[in-house]
Order: sequence, then C-alpha cells, then structure tokens
Amino acid sequence: MVAELKYEISQNAYIKLVLQALKHKTTAVNGVLLGRVNPQNENVVEIIDSVPLFHSNLALLPPLEIALIMVEEHYGSQGLGIVGYFHANERFDNAELGIVAKNIGDHICRYFPQAALLLLDNKKLEALSKEKDQSPVMQLYIRDASKNWKLVRPDGGSRLVIKEPAANVVLLDFISSEKWQDVADFDDHLDDIKKDWLNPDLFK
Amino acid sequence: MVSKTEETQLNRLENQVDNGGGGAWEYLCLVRKLKVRRSEKVLKHGLSILNDPKKRSALGPEEWTLYEQVAIAAMDCQCLDVAKDCIKVLQKKFPESKRVGRLEGMLLEAKGSWAEAEKAYSSLLEDNPLDQVIQKRRVAMAKAQGNISGAIECLNKYLEIFMADHDAWRELAEIYVSLQMYKQAAFCYEELILSQPTVPLYHLAYADVLYTLGGLENLQTAKKYYASTIDLTGGKNTRALLGICLCTSAIAQLSKGRNKEDKESPELQSLAATALEKDYKQRASDKLGLLTSALRSLKI
Repeated sequence: MVAELKYEISQNAYIKLVLQALKHKTTAVNGVLLGRVNPQNENVVEIIDSVPLFHSNLALLPPLEIALIMVEEHYGSQGLGIVGYFHANERFDNAELGIVAKNIGDHICRYFPQAALLLLDNKKLEALSKEKDQSPVMQLYIRDASKNWKLVRPDGGSRLVIKEPAANVVLLDFISSEKWQDVADFDDHLDDIKKDWLNPDLFK
Repeated sequence: MVSKTEETQLNRLENQVDNGGGGAWEYLCLVRKLKVRRSEKVLKHGLSILNDPKKRSALGPEEWTLYEQVAIAAMDCQCLDVAKDCIKVLQKKFPESKRVGRLEGMLLEAKGSWAEAEKAYSSLLEDNPLDQVIQKRRVAMAKAQGNISGAIECLNKYLEIFMADHDAWRELAEIYVSLQMYKQAAFCYEELILSQPTVPLYHLAYADVLYTLGGLENLQTAKKYYASTIDLTGGKNTRALLGICLCTSAIAQLSKGRNKEDKESPELQSLAATALEKDYKQRASDKLGLLTSALRSLKI
C-alpha cells in the first residue's frame, strides 16, 4: 500500500503567508512554498520557507515569471525548491479553489509533482481567537491521478501539520500587534526594490 | 490612482498622526482627496475628532463630511454600530437627503441584506437614474455576492453610458484579468490609453496583459508599451524595465529558426538591463546577484 504524502510546514513559512493575507484584506494574495522532500522520510514534504508574491493582478505572467526566476535562484543555492503554492481569495465567503490557483499549481507540478496547494481558510482564521486549535488555518489540495486538484480532508491523521505546535499562539500574538504591516511581498519589491521579499527581519 | 510622491506624503502624515504628532484632520482630508482606502486609520482618527466636542465644532460645516467619511470607513471595518450612529446624525441634520439615502443603502449592503439594499438603490435611482455612485454600488453588490458575471454585465452597461469613468474601466479590466479573460482586459486598457495616453500605469498594464496573451505579435506590441512606460516614467519603472527583458527573451525564443526579417536590435534590452543593474546596485545591492543571474537566464 502506498503511504500517503504528508506536508509539514514551518512556523515562519506559515505565519508569513497568513500575515500577507491580513495585510491585504481587500484583495486576493498568493505566495510560493519552498522546501524539499524529507531526506530521512520520502513520504514527508518539508515546507521550510515561503515567499509572499502578489496582492494585485495575480493572473498576469510577467511579474510571476520574474518572481519565480529570482525565488528559485535564491533558494536553489540552499538546496530548496518550490514545493507548493499559497492562495487567499478576495472574498471572505469564497472557499473555492479558483482557476488561477489551479493553473499556477499545475505549472509548479511540472517541476515538483507532489506540489501542495494551500488555500487560506477564512472562517477558520476568524475563529482562531475563540478556538484553541493547533491545526493550520489553511486547506490542503493535492493533485489526484487524473491531475485534478482535490481537497484533502483532515479526518483521521492530518496531512498538513505545522512543525511547531504553538504556531497559532504566535500567530494570534502577531495579529494583535498588527505585525502584518511589516511583511513585504514581491509586488512591494517591484514597486520599490528596497522592500525585501525575503523578509529577513520579520521574525527577529 | 496615487503617485509615488502623493503616497509618500500620505504615509508620512499617517505616521505622524499614529504617533501622536497631530494632523488628523489634514490626514483625513488627504485620504478623501486621493480616494484611497485606509479604513482602519480613518475610523480610528476620525472617531477621535468626532468624539471630542471641541474638535468637532472646530470643523464647522466640514463636520458632516467627516461623519460621512467615518460612516463609510466603519462599514468597511464591519463596525456597523459606529456606522449606524454616524448615519443617524446625518439623517437628523439632512432629512430626505439622497446622499444620506446612499449611506443607508450601503449600510444594508454591509449587513448583507442584499435584497433590501437593492430596493433602496432602485428607489433612489428612480428619482435620479444617472447617479453614478449608486450604479457602481450595484456592481459592488454583485461582486460581493460572488456573482462575477453579473458584475461584469452591470459594469459593461454602466460604461456604455459613462464611458469616461476611468476607474470603472480599470475595475473591469482587473475583473477580466482575474478570470483570465485577457483579450477583454486588453480592450479595457486600450480604451484607457486612448483617453489618457500619458498615464504610464495603463501602458504598463496593457503590456503585461499582451505578454500574458502571448504570441509573436502580442509580444512585440508588449515590448513597445513597456518602452513607452519607460519613456513616461523617466526610466524609473522596474516592472517596465524587466518587461523589456522578458519580451526580448520570449520573442527570441519564438523567432528561432524563422527568417530574421525584423531583426530585433539588442540595444533596448541591454539598456534596460544596465538601468536595472545600476538601480539594484544603488538601492538593493543584496539582490543584485539574483538580478544578474535572472537577466542572464533571460538572454538566449
């Protein structure tokens, strides 16, 4: 029996993406996930870092192409590759995986077939302060054998876990201190190259 | 649309007010003038003036404008009680006002009472069918309910009448892009460039859409519009400079093996690359290496 793939996302990668979504509450946002297959366990994909990409016109190619070239170049030297994609919808009520997300996901699958698509779960994020939940406020989608993106339900063991169990506590703390103001995405960089999409000082 | 200088000025004022340095009214006026969406700040600083009787009376007749501004900001932040209070004040001061009627409609929207909001707007439109704000609220309502095709239909009908509304054309273009309907988005940007040929944003957006559409002809046109963007922005627009490099690379890929009748002069690309490298060296030197290898990977 083929073991199912599990995805383990680091606290920093996770929080960075949620903060970007919170910074741009009125638009869709997206980002890429960087990582690798766990060298000790090939059934686990480690999502070690993330880069928030855009908060406007997500479906235009030129900024995306430049971003992917630069991101891959930077992380390639660390032995990491693009292992997935993050998307947050514009509307609170929209829990559907849209066509843009699927297309970008398909593109990433060409280079990393086990790529994960993470969709921000708006309702779960809203409920976070009331329910002490350790699971991520994101939905996991992976491609099935017919290359369709399918939602992975967390019944039984969850296939998307945050490496550090207290990550949501840290996230709530950041939300109350409005930390999202400090996140810079690739869009910000293209508007002002002084803004660093690596966000090196975000968690210092 | 806001220029970089305007944005810097706005941010500076915002920081000043946030840190207790005063200037709240100035900030609120600038937000109104530039038509930016900074609802949390507007709510916070607007309320601090409205809740202080001395500050409020110092505004004179502008007090009512502030109530309106804060009401809208409150609705954007889902602070519906605050919005209701502000609207009540305005209703008392201006009974039977159409402008207040619009706010009442928006409050119904904010509550999610779509049918009632639609009724309110319809009756307001009966008396004044050319009210642009209300017509656009209908588009916003369709969008908010996830009825994107309805929003597009509404917006197209609106633009048949109000074809000089640039913001509406931009909104339509962005909706089309989000649905990957690039040809339709291109048409919108063409309308914008025709009516406002010196606004670089439209040239840049048009070029981005053409590049995304792909194909040799579109890429060549995209390159021209990246070039005109560079022209209109004094060579300072990073996106346009990168666009030139992307186009040159993509055109070269497509032209491989074809007769090189229109041989692309490499000057434009090398000029763009040089300008980018110079800028990164000066302002983002830690990323210069990444830029250089990116440019290298784009050259054939």
